[in-house]
Amino acid sequence: MTRPATTADTARVSGTAHVSLAYADAPVAVRADLIETQERLLEHLRRPGCWFTGAERLAIAAESRHAPACPLCRERKAALSPEHPSGAHERVTGGRLADPVVEVAHRVRTDSGRLSRAWFERTLASGLEIGPYVEAVGVVALLAGLDFFCRALGVPLHPLPEPADGAPTRHVPEGLRSDIAWVPILTPENASGPEADLYDPAGLIPNIARALSSVPDHVRQLQGLTRSHYLALADMGDPKKGRAIDRMQIELVAARVSALNECFY
Amino acid sequence: MDLAAVNTPTGEDGGVAHGARLVAFADAVMGPDEARLLRERDALRGVLGDDAFVDTCAVVGAFNVVDRIADATGIPLDDGLAAMSAGVRDELGLARFASSANTPGAAG
Repeated sequence: MTRPATTADTARVSGTAHVSLAYADAPVAVRADLIETQERLLEHLRRPGCWFTGAERLAIAAESRHAPACPLCRERKAALSPEHPSGAHERVTGGRLADPVVEVAHRVRTDSGRLSRAWFERTLASGLEIGPYVEAVGVVALLAGLDFFCRALGVPLHPLPEPADGAPTRHVPEGLRSDIAWVPILTPENASGPEADLYDPAGLIPNIARALSSVPDHVRQLQGLTRSHYLALADMGDPKKGRAIDRMQIELVAARVSALNECFY
Repeated sequence: MDLAAVNTPTGEDGGVAHGARLVAFADAVMGPDEARLLRERDALRGVLGDDAFVDTCAVVGAFNVVDRIADATGIPLDDGLAAMSAGVRDELGLARFASSANTPGAAG
């Protein structure tokens, strides 16, 4: 991918920073809702989360962005089994992040299709707790979407913004279940308190929409992203719903990308 | 829709308007060949128009998010979806993917 050439543009207005994206160099006009979603996404990434500071989240983002160029990641990607090449990742953030976090940032970005439960359990056993794991996964995945959009469009990657101040919240939603996936999941019927409005009560809430729910703000970002970049959850059951490309075209592109990512879900 | 193109580009549209061009573009975005990406981007814009081209880019972005989330969290296919998609999954051979292990009964 094209490396970003400029520093971040993070304007401060009344103490509230706002990420502003410009697609001036884009070959075509970009829909306003896409830009707004992406601005909110980068704003989300620069702010402290549940477990990481804004600076740490951006370090995770930077590591994940570098991962395709990491020699260990390249060797693993080419190997029959990603578990056999060993060594250390090539880092771009120095010692800011613990090794397991860097492993998550690099593996999820470059070879998520071959992640296994055994890998997940080893990663946690190496000292990464489940909450930070989910937060790191969300950071990596959300940034990957933005980066692949830019690559597809033919524009440079957006520079990562400056981090916002503040401490992680350490918030853990009540009612998480650990019997559904590798990570704890908040089901709609258990969503309460600050998470009471996390899910649309009338809507379809598939597991993909719940997967990051132990870090609720990641779910909110994902909802916005899928609504603007794919379809609103409420529209997914309607085969006639599309955009300037029709539904069949949307699903063909989605399926091909997922096949290339080796994603079963 | 002819599902064959999901796994292996056939050069045919497979019942989807500009299907071959869409698949070729997705492959180019996901691959390392910059010259190919340039060609496929121009070709796709030429047949779809600008708005549909941007929509396509957005879908590519979206599924690079959800694929990673699904595979890194180990979520299973939802029960209803698993039942509905069994035939499609078999036709596409999705059980070959490592993440099929996350859905009981789905792995090949």
